[in-house]
Amino acid sequence: MSRDWNRQFPTRRNIFIGAGAVGFGALTAQLANLQLFRTEEFETRATANRIRLEPAPPHRGVIYDREGRILAGNKRNFYVTLRPELAGSRQDVAEVVNRLARILPITEARKRSILQDAERQARFVDILVADDLTWEDFSRVNVMAPELAGVNAEVGELRSYPYYAAFYHTVGYVQKANEKDIARMVEAELTALGETPDTPAGRARVAAVRRLYRHPQMRVGKQGVEAFAEHQLKGEAGRQRVLVNAAGRVIDRLPSEDIAGRQGDDVVLSIDAELQNFAIQRFGTESGSLVVLDIQSGEIIVMMSTPAPDPNDFVSGISQAGYNALLQDERNPLYHKAYDGIYPPGSTYKAVVATAALESGAITPEFTVRCTGRHWYGNRFFHCWERRGHGVMNVHSALQRSCNVFFYEAARRTGIEKIAEVSRKFGLGHRYELGLTGGRAGVVPNDAWKRRAIGEQWYEGETLSVGVGQGYMSASPLQLAIMIARVAGGAGAGDPTLLMHGAKAHDDSVEPFTGISEATMDRVRAGMYAVTSEAGGTAVRAGDLDPRGELPAPFTRARMAGKSGTAQARGFSEAERAAGLRSGAELPWRLRDHALFVAYAPTENPRYAGACVVEHGEAGSRVAAPILRDVLTETLRADPGSRPAFTPKQAVAAAPHPSEPT
Amino acid sequence: MTRREGVLSRLGGLHWFLLLTILVIAVFGTAVLLSAGSSAHNVQTGRPQVDASLAIAHAWRFGLMLFVAIGIALVPLRIWAGLAFPAYFTGVALLILVALFGVTVNGAERWLQLGPIRIQPSELMKLAVPLALARYYHQMFESNRHSFWIHVPAMTIVLIPFVLVLRQPDLGTSLMILATGFAVVFFAGISLRFVGAVMLLGAALAVPVYLFALEDYQRLRIETMFNPDVDPLGAGYQIQQAQIAIGSGGATGKGFMEGVQKELDYIPEQQTDFIFTIVAEEFGFAGSMVLLVLWAIVLFQGMLIAAQSRSAFGALAAAGFVSTLAFYVFINIGMVIGLLPVVGVPLPLVSYGGSVMLTVMTGFGLLMSIHLNRSNDMTLRGVF
Repeated sequence: MSRDWNRQFPTRRNIFIGAGAVGFGALTAQLANLQLFRTEEFETRATANRIRLEPAPPHRGVIYDREGRILAGNKRNFYVTLRPELAGSRQDVAEVVNRLARILPITEARKRSILQDAERQARFVDILVADDLTWEDFSRVNVMAPELAGVNAEVGELRSYPYYAAFYHTVGYVQKANEKDIARMVEAELTALGETPDTPAGRARVAAVRRLYRHPQMRVGKQGVEAFAEHQLKGEAGRQRVLVNAAGRVIDRLPSEDIAGRQGDDVVLSIDAELQNFAIQRFGTESGSLVVLDIQSGEIIVMMSTPAPDPNDFVSGISQAGYNALLQDERNPLYHKAYDGIYPPGSTYKAVVATAALESGAITPEFTVRCTGRHWYGNRFFHCWERRGHGVMNVHSALQRSCNVFFYEAARRTGIEKIAEVSRKFGLGHRYELGLTGGRAGVVPNDAWKRRAIGEQWYEGETLSVGVGQGYMSASPLQLAIMIARVAGGAGAGDPTLLMHGAKAHDDSVEPFTGISEATMDRVRAGMYAVTSEAGGTAVRAGDLDPRGELPAPFTRARMAGKSGTAQARGFSEAERAAGLRSGAELPWRLRDHALFVAYAPTENPRYAGACVVEHGEAGSRVAAPILRDVLTETLRADPGSRPAFTPKQAVAAAPHPSEPT
Repeated sequence: MTRREGVLSRLGGLHWFLLLTILVIAVFGTAVLLSAGSSAHNVQTGRPQVDASLAIAHAWRFGLMLFVAIGIALVPLRIWAGLAFPAYFTGVALLILVALFGVTVNGAERWLQLGPIRIQPSELMKLAVPLALARYYHQMFESNRHSFWIHVPAMTIVLIPFVLVLRQPDLGTSLMILATGFAVVFFAGISLRFVGAVMLLGAALAVPVYLFALEDYQRLRIETMFNPDVDPLGAGYQIQQAQIAIGSGGATGKGFMEGVQKELDYIPEQQTDFIFTIVAEEFGFAGSMVLLVLWAIVLFQGMLIAAQSRSAFGALAAAGFVSTLAFYVFINIGMVIGLLPVVGVPLPLVSYGGSVMLTVMTGFGLLMSIHLNRSNDMTLRGVF
């Protein structure tokens, strides 16, 4: 019997074992190749594999008040981004967004805008889905992460404003940059570097700026100091090493000093946040603004406008409905009333007119006018607020009792050109560059101005209106504060300063306070002293800042001197005036007069000056004067000007400087 | 001699050394699967994080199948020989049913839903084909037929399931069936000249097949084998990431549960077909070689069992199964380390998955049964 297979089997088995040995050898050789000879190469590749470089937004510089209190800082921010290319198709992106909307507070409108972004932007750019999340929301996303392709839950920084509404106008706020902001930043960057977008360096710079501002964590200053000082505050973008898994999900962020960006420079404001807060509280529900200056240094101690929204609401994007409500509020919360708001200065302006009249020699200190309650000029009566008339008035008593008729005559004699010239010396008609967006110059009218603005010659009758701070005359509360600071300090008064440590460039266009004699100023100051401190003064109850002698030296028993004013919110016809429709509760709020008060304290060696406007507050001496009195009292108590301002560790270089190209 | 004593004595006669080696590999595999779900230092928390679910399921399957294998070993070999053809024809019938009513998973019809159970007939064929061939040759040799022509029906036995599985399409499994089948034909003594001719033909056909018969994705897999960087985000990605994991493991590895490529999910299928990347990353060259040597021991023992069998059925079935195992191990590790194109072949006893455990452990049961019955020459009297 043939056992062929049995004979052959050992041979076949040996062939098999031989082939097996070759296979085993091949596996061993390849393993040795990979694991013993090329270890280093693969170790490098393993690291490169999971570590990705991502642009890291720099820490934004902090904005401090003069005492080192944080006005705009950075807080921890839990946020969620979505990268469309990792999520998949359009439908997948929509599905992921829907899933997120179930676990996060995302409105329908927000959902639509996320999907729009996903359509519009490059698919590898992260889209900010939600930020400023609670820890609970954040952890929920992390737990669900495996089902949410392309979604990253991350921790970063978000701007925060610890004083809420108090600095909405002055400090401003930041928001995600839109295309217009990015274009603006690109422009500013190129200008600062002196580059054009045609050169390779310029192009690279443009690309870098655009990439940085598109980062979900990056914000841009939209208004106030935040916008003005964007260049100092923003710093330089760095890059960050992130550990990613195969799906591109960020697992961890690695410390990487060498490629870290440059932190933004801190900015210190001259404002005292506590005094600012006090002023806001003192306004209560009134609408208006108040500015306090250190007369000697010109530093702005208080610059508030109320009411105001909370800037924190804007950082992550305010809802359209919320924004519309703010826009429609008749108290104009979005408006910086102290810097952008211009009002007829009313009787507060009489100090300037008195100075101009005395300086020009148009009147002497002994010059008198008899006030009968009205003054005939041209073809009509000009009224005094005191219908019965003040009787015989000189410059002192006219200031004290705010007699219009005296100033009609004084202004007529002085002439508009001289009044305008002196007004500019008092800081009126000039837009002060403080270091925040906005700001208006107001109007110091004269013939040239009128021809330019209206195309008509100046009529002398208009000079009479200007003489009592009405007519074309207008000024912002900031300017009124500067005006009164110069009244108080004379040539020694400093130019207004908001950004400390030389962060702001010097403004050459500021008109110096020269050529006014001290004798004149003494007379004007005496008049203002009489307003608050002599029987018959319009604000005689407001003069004593320290009836109980509680203020520290040298301000014990300090008094303030000032001038009230009432600015018409609208003109009144003769008929209305005849009907007695001049003031009162029967008028709708928005038609009532603005109440103004300007003052300085103490009366000897004045240190602080301020201006207060209560919108539609009716009577300067009754409504605005007590507020300014209390704020000045608190200012004397704290005496912020006596201490050097806070110096942050991250020192501020002088003037806006261009960032270094990377 | 009572039947009870018979069972006990047969238990004692089991191939305990082979069983022990299998047990060591399975324990090794369980540890690797434990690591697959775990991390010694979670990248986020830094603390150990353990997910033993894969390892536990693997251990359960192995434990259960170990008893099944011992049970299979204790059943007289003639009964298995008798079941060879029925198993083969059932398998072919099921493959035809899959082609007609199969469940499509990942674009391929491989599964058949029978009530609550989903079965994969192609997996069954990996054992049924060598068994049927062994049974066929056994009958031929018994009737003393040794001509060349007896190999023609044998090849038909191989080609029918090969074509059916290839059409699913499942290139990996169909090639496994083809290779296993041809291995049995080879052991059955087909002339080496014919083997040489087939190999030459295969080499000659390789280029036209590559150009015209393969799907694009299959061509890409072959390309990426030679150069994983060709398509780093597509076909080359898996093999590139696997090589990075293996290479960065170095000589001694990163340590148990310390694999970083693994933890960050860089390697698709890392708990199944690419489990070897974890072995290589965490235990390094040393650990990889330990696993290779363990498998070499198993294969060598299997060949010894084949050689010791007095029956043609036993010898050929054992040789066929050992070939199957050898192909599994060589193809799997070969593709993971970049020597072979990527085909879906798991690493037995280590990869996570029920099908391969079922096939391999059933095969070990049969192998041990052949070992127990090695002195039985299984003449056809009263058997068939």
